[in-house]
Parts: sequence; C-alpha cells; structure tokens
Amino acid sequence: MLIEIENLSVTFHAQGRRVRAVEEVSFSVAARESFGLVGESGSGKSTILRAICGLAPISAGQIRIDGKPLPSPRGAAFAREVQMVFQDPYASLHPRHTIDRVLSEPLAIHGLKGSDARIEQALTDVGLPAAFRFRYPHQLSGGQRQRVAIARALMLEPRILLLDEPTSALDASVQAETLNLLTRLRAERGLTFLMVSHDLAVIDHMCDRILVMQHGRAVEELSRAALASAAMTTDYARALFAASADRMLEG
Amino acid sequence: MTLLSVRNLRVTFDTETGPVQAVRGVSFDLDRKRLGIVGESGSGKTMTGRAVLRLIRPPGRIEADQMTFDGQDLMAASDAQLRALRGRRIAMVMQDPKYSLNPVMKVGAQLMEGLRQRDRLSRTEAHAKAVAALDAVQIRDPGRVMEAYPHELSGGMGQRVMIAMMLIPGPDLLIADEPTSALDVTVQAEVLSILDNLVKTRGMGLIFISHDLRLVVRFCDRVLVMFKGKIVEELAARDLLHAKHPYTQGLLNCLPRIGGSREPLPALDRSAAWAR
Repeated sequence: MLIEIENLSVTFHAQGRRVRAVEEVSFSVAARESFGLVGESGSGKSTILRAICGLAPISAGQIRIDGKPLPSPRGAAFAREVQMVFQDPYASLHPRHTIDRVLSEPLAIHGLKGSDARIEQALTDVGLPAAFRFRYPHQLSGGQRQRVAIARALMLEPRILLLDEPTSALDASVQAETLNLLTRLRAERGLTFLMVSHDLAVIDHMCDRILVMQHGRAVEELSRAALASAAMTTDYARALFAASADRMLEG
Repeated sequence: MTLLSVRNLRVTFDTETGPVQAVRGVSFDLDRKRLGIVGESGSGKTMTGRAVLRLIRPPGRIEADQMTFDGQDLMAASDAQLRALRGRRIAMVMQDPKYSLNPVMKVGAQLMEGLRQRDRLSRTEAHAKAVAALDAVQIRDPGRVMEAYPHELSGGMGQRVMIAMMLIPGPDLLIADEPTSALDVTVQAEVLSILDNLVKTRGMGLIFISHDLRLVVRFCDRVLVMFKGKIVEELAARDLLHAKHPYTQGLLNCLPRIGGSREPLPALDRSAAWAR
C-alpha cells in the first residue's frame, strides 16, 4: 500500500476546549489507486488531507507512505512525493504573483533547472495557452485558476495528489472539464489520488473506493460497485446517497 | 394575476472598451409560483435578479420595454417608491452568508433592526417576531442563535438566518440567488424544503437562481435557461430532462452520475450558431 493511515486522530485546542476533528480513522490507498473521502462539512475529511501534509495536529495514530512513517516537519522529500490542490482557486493563488512566479517557485525551492521549458510544458499539460504565463490570477476565470493550481501541484512531479474539493467552487460545465483533466493526468502519469468531496456523484466518477465520514469518524467504506447498487449497510451512508443531488433527477 | 412581468430587459455596462451587454432582451412573467433561472457564471442570471430590484449601480444601466410588479411600473418608480418595495414586498437572499451578514453585529440585533426601524415595533415585540422567524426556518435553538455572531454559526445556519431575515416583512416575491451553493448536500436539501414550504404556505412568488440544474428540476415549476445574457430555452421543470436545446442538454450531460460511465464527461459546446 502506498498510503497507510492507521487510527489517525486529530485534536485541536481552542480557548481551553478540545475539538476532536478526526477520531481513529484508518484506511489505505494502493499505488495508482483513486480513493475518495465523502461527508458533510465538519466531518473531518479535509482535516485528514491537512494532517498528511503536516498542517493539522496529529494526536494519535500514524501515517505511512511507502511503509515509512512521515518525518515531522515534513521536509523537501515529502513535497516531491505528495502535493495538494485546494478547494478555492480564488484563495489559493497569490493575487500579486504572476502565473510564472507561482509555477517557478517550487522549482526554485528544490533547485531544479530548466524552469522556462518546464513552465511552458506544465501550462500545455493542463490545457492552458503558454501566453498565460505572464498573467495574474485575477485575469483568469475560476476554471483556469484551478488548472493553474493543478499545474503548480504537478511541477515537482509528485506521485500522490491530495485533492480537497477541487471542483466545488466551479460551475457544472467547468467542473466537467476539470474532472476530465484530472482523469487524463492520472492516466498519463500514473498518479495516486486521495480526493475529498461532499458530492457523491463526483467521488463516484473519480474514485475506485470511497470512505464515508461523519463527525470525524469513518462510517463505512464502499467500493464503486457497492455505491452504484446502493449496497451500503449504514443508515448515514444511505441518507447521504439519498440526498445526493443526482438522485433528484430520477425523483 | 401576474405578479411580475418583464419585457425585453437589458443590462448594459459601459466600459473603456465600449458597452458590454450582460442581459440581452430577457422577457418573462411570474405569478405566485417558483421560477428557476439557470446558466453558467457570466450568463446574466444574477444580473437579471438584481435588475428586478433595480440594484445595479452605474456604470451599469437597466433598460426594459416593460417591468411591472403587482401593477406598479418598476422602471418609472422613484427611489423612495423602490425603497418601499425592497425588503417589504420583494426580498432577495444572497449567495454567501459569510459576506451578507454584518460580522460585528449579533444575529438577533440584525434581525430586529428592520422591525424596529421600519415597523417601529417595541423591543419585546421585535424580539418575539425575530425568534418566531428563526423558528419558521427550523432553527432549533433560536435563543442561542439570537445572541450569536455570524462567525459562530455554520454555513447552513447562516443561510437560514438570512432567509428568516428576508421573510420577516412577508414579501410577495423572493429572489434567491444561489441560496444553497455554499452548503452541503444534506443541508442544501433542508434549506430548499424550507423555502419550498414558505412558498406554498404564504403564496409567495420565488425566483430561484442557480447553476445547478438538478436542484432547479426539483424545486421549481418553470425554468429559464440563460446563456450569454439571453434566454435560450424556457420550459416546465418536469420537462427539463427532455430539453430540446443543445445548451440545456449540454448542461445536463456534463454532470457526473452515480454509477455512470467512466468516460470523459462531455464538454459543453459554446461555439454553435445559437451562442451568438
């Protein structure tokens, strides 16, 4: 297994109170697999991604990649293996940095050469014209920005991509284009996806296995076939399935 | 009787590079029913909603051959007449509670502000009405919410507070601009059924603006599909799945389905002759 998460708990301390955002969640993701986490907001799904990146306080449990526990702080080697794409492309790109600077920064940090050619290639790979290099984020649409965010995550050629609601800030039509792009990149580069979404239909389209979460706990793990045939065993997973927007079309 | 009638509505922005038409000749009628307006971002659906309340600032201009609400000509109305309509008879719920509620005022104070100022109610009366409004949108603990600041509420609660606020004056028409797109699916369904109930019990007209066709199918009677400022198709919500127009079909087909195929999702064709 490429990613192994064992009894992971994340506890935040705020104003003397302890908030247990994630409680004893375990799952594992094989290389080249696409794994989905679903649940409503506050269920702890994004916190798991942040914990993997070292952005959330892990209070118990272990995260292993390639069988090795992650160092803390995560370090440069981790950044070359694992990258994250955030939910809101309006917030995740620096408003005063050109696309060129956004994309060249990881190369500079890791001392990689040939930045010109790499940036042009990265833009072409995500379906943007090379001329976008010298634009600022505000000169791009939401979908184009998310493409830039994906290009940035891929600059260091990681094996694992953590996707935190990558399309929920986008229109349905732009969402389709972004999902197609992610699917294509995964096939071309043999990437492993760990994807978070509250939209079951999106997760179903993208992922092979799904973990349903509620209140920080794992509720049920489902295969794609089990989801399609509504073969869930817990009430919560069933309720989520029933409330899922695409069921409304049949309604 | 027709509650709102709009004929050939145009919204134009004069920019340095010449005029840009955000809404190009939109016409529709609404009685006390639920009308959905769908389209991608930039299709002019929000501008249409705002234009009904004449809430477009210069350099934007609103023009229409006719825009009447309950017999009153909205195009000819004075600022004072419009103020009397806004909130009291036509209310609008905005997309994101994070940006629409005052962050430094308690929810209770915000709910009571209108009642105190507009209706000249006493503190106790205003308080009782505000609590009742929170009750109507199924907030379980109205006492706590009244004393909370907006950042202490979840997105779903904040959105319900906004709906409660808009419904206090008992408007005849509610314009809801993406009222649920900041919410989770489960909360979304709840908020929509609250809106739906209110339309039924109060006999209110509703304009529901959304980019999500699936929601509109479920919660509206009639749907306008907009593209680049024009209505490309108008149809009954139950016929949406059998839409004729290629743009409407495109919007439907680009949605992933549970148990659907793994093929790339069809991209929307925005280049055809109808797009001009």
